[in-house]
Amino acid sequence: MSLQLDFPAVLERWPHFLAGAALTLELAAFSTVCGAVLGTLAAVGRGAHNSLIAGACKIYVEAIRNTPLLVQIFLVYFGLASLGLKFSAFTVAVAALTINVGAYTAEIMRAGFEAIPRGQIEAAEGLALSRLQIYWHIILLPAIERVYPALTSQFVLLMLASSVCSQISAEELTAVANYIQSDTYRAFETYIIVAVLYIILSLVMRAGFWGLGLVLFPRRRRLGTPL
Amino acid sequence: MTNKKLLGAAAALCGLIMISATPASADLLDDIMQAKKIRISTDVAIPPSGMMDSSMKPTGSDVEVAQLLAKDWGLELEFIQTTGATRIPNVLTGKADIIISTLSVTAERAKVIDFTKRYATLQSDVGCLKSLNVKDWPDLKDKTIGVSRGTTQDTTLSNMKDKDLKIARYDDDATEVTAAVSGQVDCVGTSATIINQIGVKNPARIFESKIPLATFDLAIGLKKGEQRLMDKLNAWITENVKNGKLNAIYKKFHGVDLPADMRS
Repeated sequence: MSLQLDFPAVLERWPHFLAGAALTLELAAFSTVCGAVLGTLAAVGRGAHNSLIAGACKIYVEAIRNTPLLVQIFLVYFGLASLGLKFSAFTVAVAALTINVGAYTAEIMRAGFEAIPRGQIEAAEGLALSRLQIYWHIILLPAIERVYPALTSQFVLLMLASSVCSQISAEELTAVANYIQSDTYRAFETYIIVAVLYIILSLVMRAGFWGLGLVLFPRRRRLGTPL
Repeated sequence: MTNKKLLGAAAALCGLIMISATPASADLLDDIMQAKKIRISTDVAIPPSGMMDSSMKPTGSDVEVAQLLAKDWGLELEFIQTTGATRIPNVLTGKADIIISTLSVTAERAKVIDFTKRYATLQSDVGCLKSLNVKDWPDLKDKTIGVSRGTTQDTTLSNMKDKDLKIARYDDDATEVTAAVSGQVDCVGTSATIINQIGVKNPARIFESKIPLATFDLAIGLKKGEQRLMDKLNAWITENVKNGKLNAIYKKFHGVDLPADMRS
């Protein structure tokens, strides 16, 4: 079987590819920021003394981690519309991705919290730090530093998983690829280009997280060793 | 035996091998008949052309056309499930032998695949909520039109750049219909049959055809250069248009006869 690849025919649509890649990155950026906040809150909530809050956080985390992302997206997109609430595909995509990644972030953060030695907190109490200071300096920041590589992977995974948003008419990279492919019938070339673009996006995200890590964790910046 | 004769015999043998080897790899019809199986690419998420019945078996007008073809030719039938956008790649990459899946005949598609003569037609319209006052293109200005990505309706509407249309592309007709049923979009660009189906699914949101888009001939699609398979398919279509079987299938699922000029 002979295979003829014609990249120029597909590459001439580069503005489309670029717009798709930009939207994918936008989706990933918004849902990463919102998801990190939501996940951290859920992780804190899960360790709360109030059993109602702890239970609600647990149900949220388990419900999301045990259902497919696509089902969650359809639930938000079609569910809200059935209730008469119409949002753009982009808003819905960010909301669904945030809810999804929040649950995974919560589990990763919980692992980080549990890895904080009890003695470290007691020492802080002994030094008369306020509760807020203890939470911020002794628990939260070291916990994030410890699970930072896992968080990075999770957010890169989220960016890759955002490809299913093509289903609800968000014109991200995969949606653009599907359209170009159906217009040019050059499926192989199109998806090779898209795969390369996703790799580049991943590398960009990883580099971004690496840089952010240097800013956030002065200890690592100076010593260069993991916690 | 002299050397010359030996050489001649060897050359003849080589020629024989070459002759017998070529058709097996070059003719799809022989491959199909030899395998006693035909692989047909059909989208089963676009009622009523292709769908799943209550026992999760494929049914629909395209499904019955495929079944009739396989039965007439005495072949086993394998459905290669597909979406609108992957129909053509399926036959180009050899995953399926032919496409029977509301495939409209267009000039762009004819560049990459061959079409048989038409076995049915498809009227496509822009349909909107019945209550909306849409009479012509300017009325669509601030409305989002849902389409199935990569279909002829998508391409037709996307090319109307001067009309300033807002288009939401879904991956298949099922998602597009759900978007219309649930209220994400109030207009859709799709076949007249599907527009009427939306109101059946949600009586609170009845859609009707507002602006005609185009009438397309539906044909069976196959890889380029398979003339023998093409001839056999065309003969089969002619016969089954004449004996009324294709019309009966169409009427059963779409509720109307095939166009008169096609049946005569």
